[in-house]
Amino acid sequence: MNKRRTRIVTGMICLIIVVLAYFAERFPFYVYEEEELHTSLRQFFSVEHLVRLQPFLIVIAMAALSIRICIWIRGFLLPRDQGDRKAANGKSVKLRKGKRPLFMTVRWIFMIAFSTMVMFGGIWCGFILAGIDFPVLACPTNRDQLIESSCYFLSHLPVLFEEYSPTGIVLFFVSTIGFALLLGRTICGFLCPMGLIQDIMHVIRQKTRTEGISMTQSLYRRLTSIKWIMVLLMFGLVFAGGEFCSFCPAIVTSPVLAGMKVSIYLSGFMMVIVLVGSFFKRRFWCNICPLGYLIGLTHRISPFRVKKDTISCTECGACYEACPMGIKMIYTERERTDVTDINCIMCGECVRSCPEDNALALAFAGKKYYTASRAGLMSGFECDPDPEEEREAE
Amino acid sequence: MMKENNMTMETSPEKALQSVKEETGSPDQRSRSEKEVRQEIRFIKKETMTCAKYLRRMEELDGMPGALQPFLDTLRAVYVELKNPLEKYHQKTVGTYCVMAPQELVYAAGAIPVRLCSGNYTAFSIGDDLYPRDACPLVKAVAGFQKMGLMPVYRDCSLMAVPVTCDCKKKIVEMLEQTHDVFPLSVPAGREDEDIDRYVEELYRFIDTLEALTGNRVTWDLLAAGMNMTGQAKYELSRFLKLKKSMPYLMWGTHILAVMNAAAYMRADAWSFHMNRLNRELEKRIEKGEKVTSRNRPRIMLTGSPIIYPNMKIPLLIEEMGGIVAADETCMGERGMSDPPVVVDESFDGILRALANQVIRPCSCPTFVNNKERVYRILQMIKDYQIQGVIYHVLRGCLVYDYEYLFIEEELGKRGIPVIRMESDYNEEDVEQLRIRTEAFIELIRLKQAA
Ligand code: SF4
Ligand code: SF4
Ligand code: SF4
Ligand code: SF4
Repeated sequence: MNKRRTRIVTGMICLIIVVLAYFAERFPFYVYEEEELHTSLRQFFSVEHLVRLQPFLIVIAMAALSIRICIWIRGFLLPRDQGDRKAANGKSVKLRKGKRPLFMTVRWIFMIAFSTMVMFGGIWCGFILAGIDFPVLACPTNRDQLIESSCYFLSHLPVLFEEYSPTGIVLFFVSTIGFALLLGRTICGFLCPMGLIQDIMHVIRQKTRTEGISMTQSLYRRLTSIKWIMVLLMFGLVFAGGEFCSFCPAIVTSPVLAGMKVSIYLSGFMMVIVLVGSFFKRRFWCNICPLGYLIGLTHRISPFRVKKDTISCTECGACYEACPMGIKMIYTERERTDVTDINCIMCGECVRSCPEDNALALAFAGKKYYTASRAGLMSGFECDPDPEEEREAE
Repeated sequence: MMKENNMTMETSPEKALQSVKEETGSPDQRSRSEKEVRQEIRFIKKETMTCAKYLRRMEELDGMPGALQPFLDTLRAVYVELKNPLEKYHQKTVGTYCVMAPQELVYAAGAIPVRLCSGNYTAFSIGDDLYPRDACPLVKAVAGFQKMGLMPVYRDCSLMAVPVTCDCKKKIVEMLEQTHDVFPLSVPAGREDEDIDRYVEELYRFIDTLEALTGNRVTWDLLAAGMNMTGQAKYELSRFLKLKKSMPYLMWGTHILAVMNAAAYMRADAWSFHMNRLNRELEKRIEKGEKVTSRNRPRIMLTGSPIIYPNMKIPLLIEEMGGIVAADETCMGERGMSDPPVVVDESFDGILRALANQVIRPCSCPTFVNNKERVYRILQMIKDYQIQGVIYHVLRGCLVYDYEYLFIEEELGKRGIPVIRMESDYNEEDVEQLRIRTEAFIELIRLKQAA
């Protein structure tokens, strides 16, 4: 009964998404009279740039407002209100935990550097590696970027075949598929700007200690069906006369941040949803991202792997709790030593939270580059006992 | 035999009884008949004697690290001197009956948790008449203490939190309710996402009860402080286990079990403090290459029903008969504290989820519906501690552990690791029989070793 209801709800959501996507251009969010798809370094450092950031700022403001409203409503719906639990009790305590592993620092540096490159690389460096396409969600409307993202042509296949020369087409597919094969969804964990934005939202939630949404497998399954609808839309909308870019949330990021005048339709609202969603549920959009799903198809051959020692694992489920993609198999698996999943974005959160030495590891071409260790997880507790306790114990 | 003629008393039972009465005030003020008083004196006499004897046997094992003394002293204070070692903190105490009642929450509410699972023979003999014949001795011993009402640690508790795990635990709730406020903490039997959600709700209810008890509102900071407190203890334990993995003859297993048992009656920060000292002492030992035994003793692992002081006969027998308990997989031993909660979401709710996750998922208690993970844990420990044989301890009446024996025997058999099942009760009648079996088992391992 309950199952049927959730199925119906999911079906409805999918239907609404399809309809909205089809009529995306009827929902103007921020429309320019004339678009301007060019930026320059000079403009970038002028006041005008701030004006051009407007749509982005509106999205952020709307998202902040929506988050507040959501928390407020939840206060009514949840019988146990935690508002006053957040209040500090005189002295503020720091929750001890493991120090940030080097791996995570590197990952953040990669994400920030790459996102910056995709947005402003061309303007700053002055040259463009035209034709090299990364399969990430970063809007390539901005042609000044150092490295392109391939999503525009993937969602507009006819345009690709009409406008490009055969060599261009070949180059496009070789670079896109090549990167997908070589890096797999490490792209999602390390490079994609949308991923970065969502991780930032997660960090904000951690800092404000706001309660999130605890996911279950049945909820994840619902997201999976939405993801397939997204894949369908991404490839199919152009053939049905729609425009995926008016729907895709990523357009609010790179072109707008780079200071271009692009009109934004439903995408603006989508971005608000993405921000709110990823605030309460880490990497919410990645769970329904069509591009991410496509890259994931290479998970069987990509050299980036998640390895597991099936004996030392205690099935503590910490990895599953930490996994932003809700991959349960990683903690239940007892047979295979390779637990790379189609949804895995190689973010390493599972390895970071695994308390058993060597139970989990990330590996590239058979070489482990990040391994779980209890000492690392509990490194925050390394200290000599309190002198006060010492006195007491005497 | 040494255990018979070494019965000198540390405290006279009359004096102990007197001090118990004075310090805590008897629970019911009705005047006692002469017969009852005599029974009480007899109880205390027997109880203190047995406990003192086991303490002495532990102290007689040579190579005891000096830093171990505070742990033994705690056990002595509770069971021989009949004191409440937690009294000095002037905080309310909450009795818990299993590792599945998160101590963090009790600390966060400003109370101190104390684990009351009992291994006491004298209390058992009283509980034996109160409970069905086939009930597990652990709950019979608890019932015995409850009936006599003489133990300060039991009596001083302001609340009893009983995780509802096995059948026997379920039934002690009613019994405890006669004298104490009791919070039955439902523990799910499965480990699915929905089970964790349900358990989190249960933890919120537990927090409410604790708040009503202490009058403190459990805020994020208090919860974090509670987490840090037990986290520190877990950190010291993980350090200790690492040392032990590097050298199996570092310390007697009986002593390690005493350390883990003492944790039940010590505040976590005091325990970690003494643990830190022990670790430092052991580190020095490793540097110097000191061991507790020079012989190549068979390394035995103890698993199964909990080994609770003073019911230390099996580990003591193993080590007195020439083996060493190199690892234990029991809930009063290292299992109860070795899994750290991994906080991946720092909201209040997130911390509770981490706690729930840590209590339910890695716990290899056989009361869970599917507990195959236990075998893997045992296998990993066999590897880590270079175990040569496994003794599977079953308390008479503890069905859940008995059930799992067959599966574990089969799995270990496939890998050529000898394992025997040892059933015991809370009395000393079966000691001779256990001794013979232990001896034979150790011989068997020796022969295998020689071959
Ligand atoms: S799944 Fe996430 S990180 Fe990967 S391409 Fe999509 S938005 Fe980017
Ligand atoms: S399985 Fe691990 S690496 Fe993969 S998405 Fe989950 S947490 Fe990240
Ligand atoms: S965190 Fe590590 S030990 Fe825990 S379930 Fe995952 S792999 Fe196993
Ligand atoms: S698990 Fe076994 S020993 Fe523990 S209370 Fe239950 S029946 Fe008794």
